[in-house]
Amino acid sequence: MPYKFLPDVALADVAFEAKAGTVGGLFEACATAMSDTMVDLSTVEKRTTKRISLASPDLDRLLYDFLTELIIVKDVDSLLFCEFEVEVSPGGTSLEASVRGEAIDREKHVLRNDVKAVTMHMFGVKRDGPDWVATVVLDI
Amino acid sequence: MAQIDSFRKLTDVSWEIPTSYKQGMLVPAKLYATRKLLEGMDSGVIEQVTNVACLPGIVRQAYAMADAHWGYGFPIGGVAAFEPETGVISPGGIGFDVNCGMRLIRTNLRYSEVKPKVKELVDLMFKLVPAGVGVKGFLRVNEPQFDEIMTYGVKWCAENGQAWEDDPSHVEEGGFIKGAEPAKVSRQARSRGIDQLGTLGSGNHYLEIQVVDPARFFDAELGRHFGIVHPDQVLVMVHCGSRGFGHQVASDYLRVFDGAMKRYGFAVRDRELACAPFSSKEGKDYYGAMVCAANMAFTNRQIIVQQVRQAFSRVFHRDPESMDMHLIYDVCHNIAKVERHTYDGRSADLLVHRKGATRSFGPGHPDIPSPYRSIGQPVIIGGSMETGSYLLVGTQKAMEETFGSTAHGSGRTMSRTAAKRAVRGAELQQKMMERGIYVKAATMDGLAEEAGMAYKDISEVVATMDEAGISKKVVALRPVGNIKG
Repeated sequence: MPYKFLPDVALADVAFEAKAGTVGGLFEACATAMSDTMVDLSTVEKRTTKRISLASPDLDRLLYDFLTELIIVKDVDSLLFCEFEVEVSPGGTSLEASVRGEAIDREKHVLRNDVKAVTMHMFGVKRDGPDWVATVVLDI
Repeated sequence: MAQIDSFRKLTDVSWEIPTSYKQGMLVPAKLYATRKLLEGMDSGVIEQVTNVACLPGIVRQAYAMADAHWGYGFPIGGVAAFEPETGVISPGGIGFDVNCGMRLIRTNLRYSEVKPKVKELVDLMFKLVPAGVGVKGFLRVNEPQFDEIMTYGVKWCAENGQAWEDDPSHVEEGGFIKGAEPAKVSRQARSRGIDQLGTLGSGNHYLEIQVVDPARFFDAELGRHFGIVHPDQVLVMVHCGSRGFGHQVASDYLRVFDGAMKRYGFAVRDRELACAPFSSKEGKDYYGAMVCAANMAFTNRQIIVQQVRQAFSRVFHRDPESMDMHLIYDVCHNIAKVERHTYDGRSADLLVHRKGATRSFGPGHPDIPSPYRSIGQPVIIGGSMETGSYLLVGTQKAMEETFGSTAHGSGRTMSRTAAKRAVRGAELQQKMMERGIYVKAATMDGLAEEAGMAYKDISEVVATMDEAGISKKVVALRPVGNIKG
């Protein structure tokens, strides 16, 4: 799994570290980890595709904005996603994403914690040898 | 905690950390805790409360209450007051869930009448008060109405058939904080919040049927003021906040403040402690938006109470008035407000941040509704879903020591993962049932994460605040039916 949860970082909340060989892959791993916090991903089918385009001042903010956008879509459109394809621009300041999932169904989905927000605590994207690594703490 | 020896012990339940503890501290920090609670506090609390003591314009002391634990920026259980002209406002001093708070309504029902109906009541309330991931409420409002809710909170409810006549006056600030600026709220925040009125949320939020614990009815005379007269009287408690609306307001402005810090030349000790001068454009904009979220939260809890009244009415085939389902009080515990306080021999307006802390105004304060003015403001402290909760009153000593503030709850001591490892949701549900608590949860994982063992002992927290004299115990309430978001 390209992400692992960090149970001791924030007692009341959920923290994870994601790792991938590309920036796009890193964003996909972070989005998957966040969805995994909200729902058992094996219960979500790919029935709807949503396209997301974003631009932000730097790579950190771009990831923050992308995850925040997914939280907004969850509340506004009642959609949860299980598959993410993300292309980040070479400068790391914009992205095009295609995300797949379906409308929240309380009978069908094994729901977990609602995510309130992405926090700035320990938040950041960095290089680790050939990989890209991000640490994210979600407010629950 | 290794540093305790460097703290100055003031009493058995209060400690001071001097400004020499950390470079940049403008005022000392004060902790309310027994030695045992202090030893159990995570070291993050000390780091954070002393960071708060470094913020520009802070007045007198930075406080950590007996339930303090690590939070983002400020500790949860933290209080800090700032001089409005020179001081700052910080989203980290309020929390993502703006105006998360507690609401308590009474009934005139005895537990013997309610006991056979608890399951039916909880099951119906679970339908009428949506809980969990991505839920929408039953109350539909349009954009202009949502603007009015942001501005007038429970007053809007009273004018639109969603409140009883005496509800607004029994809410902190009369049900709405002045100074809302809907124009400062983002489109995204509006979209997240407009359909969420009357929803419980997730995490540690709950709706609970409770019974007076006769062995811990500490002050029957004070209880009478709140209409609590029987040793087995049934009450209902609500714990929730401004839902996605407030979370988005916090996220939006955290981003704004993250950039503003550098412009104002503030040292960034922690990105979550982002702040801006209260008198700056960023500070004023955030305050205007944050007040909108606070008023939305008051409204959210009000709509939930309307649904609770309906549930009781349907189950008992009586109108809610005949069951005396009046609001005892509604308190904020994640908020910043301008309040007038007397300190160091002068009276002045201050911006008081309470993050995981409750207002605790003492007897005689003009902001307390008239039925309670002579005894002090009701303070509602919520425990875990297994251990019960408390009703207290504010004191004059709180006015003198903590800008009229006290603790808010019990505080986690165990991570969500560790709690899930220790107990399964279904097993916990069964065990609680055996102890006479019927619980219905939006998720079984979420239920396990909120197990009582994951929290501090609320009784010790409450006893500490009572001994410190900054709130006074009235009655303990034990859960018999619980809805977990």
